[in-house]
Amino acid sequence: MPRIPLLDLLKSYGGDVGVFAGFETIMSYGDPFSEHLAVRRDAAVFDISHMGRILVEGPDSQELLDLLLPRDLSDSKDSVMVGPTAFLNDSGGFKDDVMLYRFSNERWLVVCNAINREKILGWLREWVSRKGYKASIVDQTLETAMLAIQGPRAIDYISKIPGFSGASSLKPLEFLENLDTSLGRVDIISRSGWTGEDGFEIVSSPSIAAEIIARLRSMGVALAGLIARDSLRMEMGYVLYGEDIDENINPYEARYWVFTRGKEGCIGCDALREIGRRGVTKARYMFRLKKGLRVIPRRGYKVLYEGEEIGYITSGSYSPYLERPIAMGYIKSSHALPGLSVDIEVRGKLYEAKILDYPLIKR
Amino acid sequence: MSDIEVKGYIVKRDRLYTETDEWVKIEGDIAVIGITDYAQKKLKNIIGIELPSRGTRVRAGDTIGTIESIKAVSDIYAPVSGEVIEVNERLSNEPELINHEPYEGGWMVKIKIASKDELGKLLSPEKYAEKISRD
Repeated sequence: MPRIPLLDLLKSYGGDVGVFAGFETIMSYGDPFSEHLAVRRDAAVFDISHMGRILVEGPDSQELLDLLLPRDLSDSKDSVMVGPTAFLNDSGGFKDDVMLYRFSNERWLVVCNAINREKILGWLREWVSRKGYKASIVDQTLETAMLAIQGPRAIDYISKIPGFSGASSLKPLEFLENLDTSLGRVDIISRSGWTGEDGFEIVSSPSIAAEIIARLRSMGVALAGLIARDSLRMEMGYVLYGEDIDENINPYEARYWVFTRGKEGCIGCDALREIGRRGVTKARYMFRLKKGLRVIPRRGYKVLYEGEEIGYITSGSYSPYLERPIAMGYIKSSHALPGLSVDIEVRGKLYEAKILDYPLIKR
Repeated sequence: MSDIEVKGYIVKRDRLYTETDEWVKIEGDIAVIGITDYAQKKLKNIIGIELPSRGTRVRAGDTIGTIESIKAVSDIYAPVSGEVIEVNERLSNEPELINHEPYEGGWMVKIKIASKDELGKLLSPEKYAEKISRD
């Protein structure tokens, strides 16, 4: 089984090892709620090396991505990320949701979900060969490490590391490549993240990533694991592939705006237009339970209104920030009414919850 | 009587254990029951617990409750047969006590033991420490 390169180091810092998307990685450092709150109030660093990192390089790179992505790439700029966007299947369902780093129109990094890495590698290679594109597809995931430093004070901490000051002037989604720092050369640093907070994502060699973590720890920055990452993304209403979206869910149902309206000629573009014309029968919404309720709505639990099943949960958690259980799921379009009080069935008992739009917290 | 520490998990010497990570402290003919330090650390933040009501008769191995944690829902099993004579009411509003004090404030139920013969099936602290060291 693949493992994040810094697994042993992070274990020695108190990390609990678990398996996520086929990777051995760190689930928490003992107290996910504290890790979550550190991100909301201060900052914390995550090792997200499990994320797939696929380099697409060659003169036809942009043509390839333009064919496979429903987002218009014509106004994309060098050194600015594109996304979130998605690879779709012929029916408009999600093959994966991804972020892109555009180094130039001939060199892109696709950051995909760990669970879909092999699928997306195969998909890109298939279309390169079908179309005879001049583009190479290289999986860089296992050679490098990836960190996310997230939180309102992330910028204060990162700019204290000599050589990182350039990163503090990045605007959201902008990135620097080959940044020479006191710790060595950092491949990529971007102003981005998946928590709803300001922050940075870094791709570098594992040894430099270890140095960055050591520096941040010495400044008192918390370490955080994937359990906190999950509860943070859920407060924001961000989807997780395999839970909230998959090949049978389309962007309209997920209300996940990964496409440019009117784009033609991409894989899934025709299906999207047809879905848009026809409308959808279910839509993704958030659920917030009352304070003091001590259950977590989990994947597959039913949502009811007046005893009738009107939807289902795709992922749920407990928000230590809102101090209550939260969840997301799909509701029949007829009942997709934010503000409506519904019931969620948990082990045979009904618990009141309110349908809400995302995000559940304002940043 | 110092505690056993294995891989960072505390195992108390003054009680017995189950394969399913409950502890049992024998006080005369009463068994006080909770979950181990190892179990609470695996579950992470515990946000809720359902326990049987007083007077419930249970058999060893029965599911007597569920624990809802950030990570999963898990069952609690009765280590011994008998009658539930007391339930830790504090846990309904402060389930995090199970994380903070798994062996003290985080106790769950007291069972009046029906047959002391069953205690022989429980694990000694040393055997339980061995079990978690293999994980």
